Amino acid sequence: MQQQTETQYWRIAPAAMALAGIIVFIFATYGPPASSSGFVSTLEGFLEVVDPSYLKGKTHYQIIPGVGSWLMAFVVGMAIGGFVAGRASRVELRDVPELWENRFGPSRLKRYAATFVGGFLILFSSRLAGGCTLGLFISGSAQLAISGLYFGVLIFASAMLTARLVYGPKAGEDES
Amino acid sequence: MTQVLLGLFSGIAFGYVIQRVGATNPNKMALSHLMREPYIPQFMVLAVALSAAGLFGLQAAGAGRTMVLPTSLVATGLAAVIFGVGWGLAGYCPGTTWAAVGEGRMDAVFALLGGLAGAALFAHLHEVLIPMLYDPTNQGQITLQTWFGSRWFSLVVLLAVFAAAYLLIGRYFRPSHGFKDS
Repeated sequence: MQQQTETQYWRIAPAAMALAGIIVFIFATYGPPASSSGFVSTLEGFLEVVDPSYLKGKTHYQIIPGVGSWLMAFVVGMAIGGFVAGRASRVELRDVPELWENRFGPSRLKRYAATFVGGFLILFSSRLAGGCTLGLFISGSAQLAISGLYFGVLIFASAMLTARLVYGPKAGEDES
Repeated sequence: MTQVLLGLFSGIAFGYVIQRVGATNPNKMALSHLMREPYIPQFMVLAVALSAAGLFGLQAAGAGRTMVLPTSLVATGLAAVIFGVGWGLAGYCPGTTWAAVGEGRMDAVFALLGGLAGAALFAHLHEVLIPMLYDPTNQGQITLQTWFGSRWFSLVVLLAVFAAAYLLIGRYFRPSHGFKDS
């Protein structure tokens, strides 16, 4: 089995076992884990303060639970987990990733604009499909759902093609 | 309240693990998409296979709650293609975005804001888009068991497919040594 070398990151086999344990725990205590719905719960929180009447007429907000839900707690928990893990490890953080900088230069503005657009696309599409990498591909496939497998194959194919177009055909190759 | 605490606890554990394996690192994710990093895709494939086996055991014990999402040929497929464009461009997916924000990545903060905007736009258009794109080709809540009948056999098929994917990724994704983790 290949392993990550020269890295601060965990080996994949124990990490996958840990994650699968957490996923099965979630199925036992809640139901299928999901994260894109947490964005909708967050929005509901804002809208309840700003314009509650808008929420009443909108199906999407009616079918996704709001702020006091498992879904919202889960995504907030993920941010906390990421924070704790970041403090516990020594991963160098860059505002502009290396590959991105090699292709588009060190401009933060360009990178932030791209991640804003990327974030927009992944959430718009997740809400159309009913789930994301976790809520549809991982949760769905674990339940043997065709939707999860179908979504999973196509997101990898599309992301691989997009990365090739974004970074160029030679990107990521060892320089020697 | 119990549900909120369970969600919080599950999220913390989940976010911790995906940061520690490097899934919140957009450079690593970009290398994965360029077939220059086998670890994250193999981690995902392995985690799904183990989860499927674990859930099978959980259900055999009469526990757990499942909910299969329907397959809409057009909506699920089109959404996956759009999702891949966003994932390939930014290197974040919805879950890793939250963990990466917690980790302190500024570009993830913008992915989160973009995500809120994207979710808000879809929620606004739900009544128009679901009848137009989702409903006409909705095949219902189909699973491998719908096709094969036996739950056991369906699980074996799923595990075989994911084992093959794991091996193929190891064969064709060549690690890039010239790049650091960031």
